[in-house]
Amino acid sequence: MASNQNPISAIDMLTSALRSNIIPNQEYLLQGSVIDSSAEVLHNRLRGLCDAAETGPETFHDHEMCFSLKASSPGGTPQQQQSFLLRVRRALDHPEYPWQLRYLGQPELGEKNQPTVLRSCIDIACTPNVVEFLSELGCRIEFEYVLKGYLFRKGRMKVTMSKIFRMGQAKSPDSLEAMTGSYLVELSLLAPSGQDAVADEIKVFAEQLRPLVHLEKIDYRRLQSYS
Amino acid sequence: MEDFFTNNSVCVSVEAPAENLVQEIAYDGQEVFQLPLTLSENLTKQAHKIDWIIREDDENDDDTLSATVTTEKDVEEESKKADFQTSSWPWDSVRNKLRSALTEVCVLADVLVIAKDKRYMVLDPVQQEQPDQRQLAQLFSKKRGLTAAANILLHGAERLKISQSDTARAKSNQDFHLELLRLRQSWTLKKIGNSILGDLSYKSAGSRFYQTGIFEVTKSEDPNLGLSTETTSENQPKQSMIKVTIPTELGGTSYIQVTIQKDQDILCTTNLNLLHTSLIHSDHSLDANPWTSKLEAAQNVLFCKELFSQLAREAVQLQAAIPHMVVGNQITASLFPGIQLSIHFQSSYSAGVNKRQLVSNSTSLVAKVDHNYILEHSLHQLLRQVHLNNVGQPVPHPSSAPLGPTKRRRLAGPHAYDRDELLLMTKNESILEQIIRQGQHVVLRLRTMFVIDSIAREIRDPLIISHWNVLNSPTLSCVKIIIMTHGYDTLQRTALVVHVGEKTLKCVCRDGRVLHMSYEPQELRDLILCQISQHQINAVQSLARFLGWHVASSSAHLGLGPVEPLGNASSCILSSPSGNRILSVRCGPQAAQPQVYLSTYPRHDTVKNKVLKDMRWEQLNTRYEEVRLEKIEGRNFLSRMELLMASLTCRPPMSWE
Repeated sequence: MASNQNPISAIDMLTSALRSNIIPNQEYLLQGSVIDSSAEVLHNRLRGLCDAAETGPETFHDHEMCFSLKASSPGGTPQQQQSFLLRVRRALDHPEYPWQLRYLGQPELGEKNQPTVLRSCIDIACTPNVVEFLSELGCRIEFEYVLKGYLFRKGRMKVTMSKIFRMGQAKSPDSLEAMTGSYLVELSLLAPSGQDAVADEIKVFAEQLRPLVHLEKIDYRRLQSYS
Repeated sequence: MEDFFTNNSVCVSVEAPAENLVQEIAYDGQEVFQLPLTLSENLTKQAHKIDWIIREDDENDDDTLSATVTTEKDVEEESKKADFQTSSWPWDSVRNKLRSALTEVCVLADVLVIAKDKRYMVLDPVQQEQPDQRQLAQLFSKKRGLTAAANILLHGAERLKISQSDTARAKSNQDFHLELLRLRQSWTLKKIGNSILGDLSYKSAGSRFYQTGIFEVTKSEDPNLGLSTETTSENQPKQSMIKVTIPTELGGTSYIQVTIQKDQDILCTTNLNLLHTSLIHSDHSLDANPWTSKLEAAQNVLFCKELFSQLAREAVQLQAAIPHMVVGNQITASLFPGIQLSIHFQSSYSAGVNKRQLVSNSTSLVAKVDHNYILEHSLHQLLRQVHLNNVGQPVPHPSSAPLGPTKRRRLAGPHAYDRDELLLMTKNESILEQIIRQGQHVVLRLRTMFVIDSIAREIRDPLIISHWNVLNSPTLSCVKIIIMTHGYDTLQRTALVVHVGEKTLKCVCRDGRVLHMSYEPQELRDLILCQISQHQINAVQSLARFLGWHVASSSAHLGLGPVEPLGNASSCILSSPSGNRILSVRCGPQAAQPQVYLSTYPRHDTVKNKVLKDMRWEQLNTRYEEVRLEKIEGRNFLSRMELLMASLTCRPPMSWE
């Protein structure tokens, strides 16, 4: 009896935690890019603005795989079939850290005056056999890439400045081929839902990085329609 | 015709025209005549024509003068006669006047001649008396002139002063900005409105103390003060252009005093004062910037306050067997039974200065030697570690992972940690717990030192040498104890290592045994005494082998003889190379000196025995007799034993009595 109650109480706790909005599952995001030649200027600016300036910037080297799960409803057309994207990311430079499985919701651009993109976001640490697990579930690998760059922290905000590399055929980290001649700059903050005041905080910080980089709300759907 | 004229010559008289001179002719041709001159007017007109100066030039010769005068007079008289024929002697008055004038002129000429010679007469300027009015006016004018000059000078001086003060102000402004720049290099400053505010709190270093450390920077009011002090002495610090205003609650000085007390006896005391150390280290920078000391003192006060409030909060929260007490500015925690750790927060505002003097005096008498800097350093370190943990959040890897959780918490999910491991992870040792552990270690180390030193002082024969490791952790230190005999140190060394922990001692003996002991000092004392007794027996055995004797038997835990109050006595039996001398050595932990017994053969009483005729019965040992070691020469037990064994070896068996 008692053993039966335990999982129920855990779920109750989780739902009550969700209801009381203490789980940080909303990501406030701004994105931009900076060309390689001026990346160093931005790097110095970020070093000056962000926390732990004395220890120097933290580097990262991540490998991300994106899996898609087709929800095959019997009567639906392929357009109506919603693909469900799951991202698995691992740190190549820190193999002892757990892998991260991440679900990202549809980005909400909101109104014109809303300062940031808002998307729901769930992060779960997992073991390396998550790839196998997802394949068994029927997920198919859509794309993968390697990110290499610097990570900064400013209070609750996380600033990454990274370069995207194409995964070589050999799948070894040495055969890296840069996708573009620029750095991707992301300014993100994870918060429980309903804390919209932090968006202004992000906006203020983004203003401080002007004109080195313009961090904006990027509309992916429009980007896709352009391409 | 000429003749006619000559013949009929007409007499032409030359006379003055009867009619008057025409003065002017009007436009209608009418002439306006001048009025005829009167007699006196005519005379003066004529007299004007006389050139008197010519006559005076020729006055050297009186005769000529008079002659000319007469001739002149004649001419005049003639002309006057012609003009005024009616008067009988009309020139009489004129002549008299001229004569008198002449006389005067002559006299004047004579006087001039005489005066020119300067033989008979000297002309002196006559001092004319100045009128008073004139002097006063001169005075006034002089005064006016002087005031005008003074005004000009004053005006010029004023302008110079203004320009000088302008440059001084500009210079002081420049100094102010330079100093502000220096201040900015070491302190956080920001400008809010017209005021410059700084922050001396440890917030940027990770402190979460509620009290703010905001100070205001203003320009110093009196820049001249700096100049004057600069001229008076170079030793005095230069007056700063910056005036730093700190909040009153951060004023003064404060410090935290850590004391370990045993029934009112202070075992160990530590004064935590950041300012003190900073004063020692940064003397030069202090001279350069007077505000440094003020700000550092305020920062020290803030640090001490934060530390004490943190400790007090933890003392209340901690569930200890003997509850910690927080009374006013004092926290008391018990380390061992009867030994307490008390932490005082004292500041110069809370009337603790006198008390501090008293305490420091008493500690200087009681525990000056025991003063160690470990507790002081630990208190520094512990709070700063807390700060660092607040700031230094672990960086997520991979980069998409959320900020905040530590690496262990990240691993908890994938590795499926159970509840105990998770609880262990949340356990965080507070500053107070750590300082109590360190205090316990300090007490235990002091006790261990005391025990070892007192044994070394009491027991001289085997030497006891202790080596304390210089490098140790705040809660663990290590001492190596070596027991050896002077002069025989290569023969036998007994070494043991004692690890001094927080509440227990761990002793590793030479034979590999590991003994755990409590904090009671008697246990260590007993152990060392046992080790000493065993050392003596072992050393005697080594010596015996060295001298060719045989070790018949040896026992570290002898079951015979009187019962020792602690531990067991150890003993060995040695026989001489020829076998006719047997020495028995017994050493108990409580005995001051080992006891030595001697047995020899052949027995003297066997000769009389008629029953036992076999020679082998003569080989039986006699009764053991105690050797009075103190009568034998030698500086220690081993040297005496060496002497004893040597003498027993070399003498023939029958001659020994």
